[in-house]
Amino acid sequence: MNSSLQQFRYETGESLNIAVYQIKANKIRSFLTALGVIIGIVAITMMGTAINGIDLGFEKSLSMIGYDVVYVQKGSWSTMGQWWRYRNRPDIETRYAAEINRIIEGNPGSELIVAVPQMSTIQASARYRDREILQIFAMGTSHDYPLTASGDLSAGRFFTAQESAAGDAVCVIGDDIASGLFPDGRATGKSVRLKNHNVRVVGVFKKQGKFLGLFSFDNQLIMPLGAFTKVYGKTPMVTIRVKIRDEKRVPEAKEELTGLMRRIRRLPPGKADDFGINEQQAFKSQLDPIKNGIAVAGIFITGMSLFVGAIGIMNITFVSVKERTREIGLRKALGARRRTILMQFLIESVMICLVGGIIGLATALSITVLIQNLLPDFPVSFSPMLVLASLLISVATGIISGLAPAISASRLDPAVSLRYE
Amino acid sequence: MSERPFIIRISSLSKHYTMGDQLVKALDKIDLDFRENDYAAIMGPSGSGKSTLMNILGCLDTPTAGRYELNGQNVAEMDDDELARVRNREIGFVFQTFNLLPRLDCLRNVELPLIYAGVSPEERLERSRKALEEVGLGDRIDHKPGELSGGQTQRVAIARALVNHPSIILADEPTGNLDTATSRDIMDIFGRLSDAGNTIILITHEEEIARFTRRIIRLRDGRIESDSAP
Ligand SMILES: Nc1ncnc2c1ncn2[C@@H]1O[C@H](COP(=O)(O)OP(=O)(O)O)[C@@H](O)[C@H]1O
Ligand SMILES: [Mg+2]
Repeated sequence: MNSSLQQFRYETGESLNIAVYQIKANKIRSFLTALGVIIGIVAITMMGTAINGIDLGFEKSLSMIGYDVVYVQKGSWSTMGQWWRYRNRPDIETRYAAEINRIIEGNPGSELIVAVPQMSTIQASARYRDREILQIFAMGTSHDYPLTASGDLSAGRFFTAQESAAGDAVCVIGDDIASGLFPDGRATGKSVRLKNHNVRVVGVFKKQGKFLGLFSFDNQLIMPLGAFTKVYGKTPMVTIRVKIRDEKRVPEAKEELTGLMRRIRRLPPGKADDFGINEQQAFKSQLDPIKNGIAVAGIFITGMSLFVGAIGIMNITFVSVKERTREIGLRKALGARRRTILMQFLIESVMICLVGGIIGLATALSITVLIQNLLPDFPVSFSPMLVLASLLISVATGIISGLAPAISASRLDPAVSLRYE
Repeated sequence: MSERPFIIRISSLSKHYTMGDQLVKALDKIDLDFRENDYAAIMGPSGSGKSTLMNILGCLDTPTAGRYELNGQNVAEMDDDELARVRNREIGFVFQTFNLLPRLDCLRNVELPLIYAGVSPEERLERSRKALEEVGLGDRIDHKPGELSGGQTQRVAIARALVNHPSIILADEPTGNLDTATSRDIMDIFGRLSDAGNTIILITHEEEIARFTRRIIRLRDGRIESDSAP
């Protein structure tokens, strides 16, 4: 048993030597053979990288939307695009926040911690002297807002409870606004002009970055609700942000909040909700179709190129068996068993595929690094799982495509093979 | 009569091929024995069945009918793995066309049978070096076959046949591709190997080569025509 194990080891060593020699001796042929595997591995790793990146980009860019915050709004995120269904619902009002807070305070067992009103507009711009930033996202809220968002400040502070209650003309701005209006100086203490109101900057958010070029929190401007309505009047874009006690108990929290809202809206039992309660998860699932699309395309391309690659490798291995018929006969005459010859050719095709897989991984990694450098906002992320999966796929391709030629080699008649010219 | 033990006992052994609708009796009910330390030449015209006999003796091929006993084991009943093992342990082949792997140096060529025997790398090296020294090529171990003369190449092949200490050495026209002087060198080596106790069977169609051996078996049309000392 032990000695046959040793024999297996030595024979495998010999097979590895032969495989390395063959690949080196036929570099161009091996490379062309491995091309299908290379393309397949690039496709699957880029796919995985893109999907990882979307998830990661989501976590990073939307970190201001915490998992422990739910949103009372007119519509529901999970049925976005069907706005007509909510058209006739009453608008959400900022006063609901105060009413919810009052009820929470009277209920120590509540799943909810605090409600924060938010009124916003995207039709806003900010000026400072001769500079102007168009299309900012202006928002009025309360001093409790930071409890429901995790954006850190790079300078200054958030506005206080007193400023909030008084509706003082102060604001906290996103990094793009700060660097756009004050390219060479501190923003805090300066006053920006919104329409024809002066609003003093008291804080600046850290840069958050863009996500897929779709969302950016770096162009937002946040001020007390009172100040917001003084500048923009009452806008219909109202959300009540509610921080919950436990992000693992989102359904319970939504349940309780739904009850509170129905009480506030005085909905009789049996009447449907006329408001939506949203959470990050629902928003995130909006991206599922994109991710699925990438996955389907990636798997299709991978499958096609691996299929073509496997056929190519099978073909080349058959040619290789033919070319080395005499050598196979000789090795059999010298004592190589069927399984030894089988292994030798399998190892060769697996090695070609592995080399192809590694080249593919290196290519994908280079592309990833290139994308990260050229388009920092584009989400890509390489993972060790992808490396492992790629190598496994390469080995499997090698075994599948090498099996038929290897079996035919192992069955060659030694006497006939030795006569082969 | 010799008291040396039998290595090979063949009785009523046939090998038939069908070519289209024609039956070719390459070997026709042959009886033949070889004892330890035999040094024999198999002769005969082209197509008389010499190579067929050699392939069966070397376990590269199996007979259509009859019995072939090698060291007391009936080879005709062996499966593929057992045959590979017998080829590896009991038989050393020398071919007319040498059959060395051109990409490997002499040492690597000679060690091939030892790899399939499961011998450790250190022992492989040492035994291969010794086998090359035995055929007078101790100073050429790192040369590739392409850098050697025909005679030297055949000596490497003989070293490879010797390296695993086989019961018999089988050589199919070992001097067929060599000039007269070189052929004599090779036959000298076989002579020395025979003196050292090896059992050697070679095929040749040259009388001068056969004269180096101690026994000549003549085949014709798949039958033994004569079996005698030269
Ligand atoms: N694989 C084979 N298929 C068909 N006929 C064969 C085969 N091998 C040998 N023969 C025939 O068997 C006979 C003996 O061949 P062989 O043993 O090669 O003779 P020799 O080596 O003495 O020249 C010849 O007639 C040859 O044509
Ligand atoms: Mg012949």
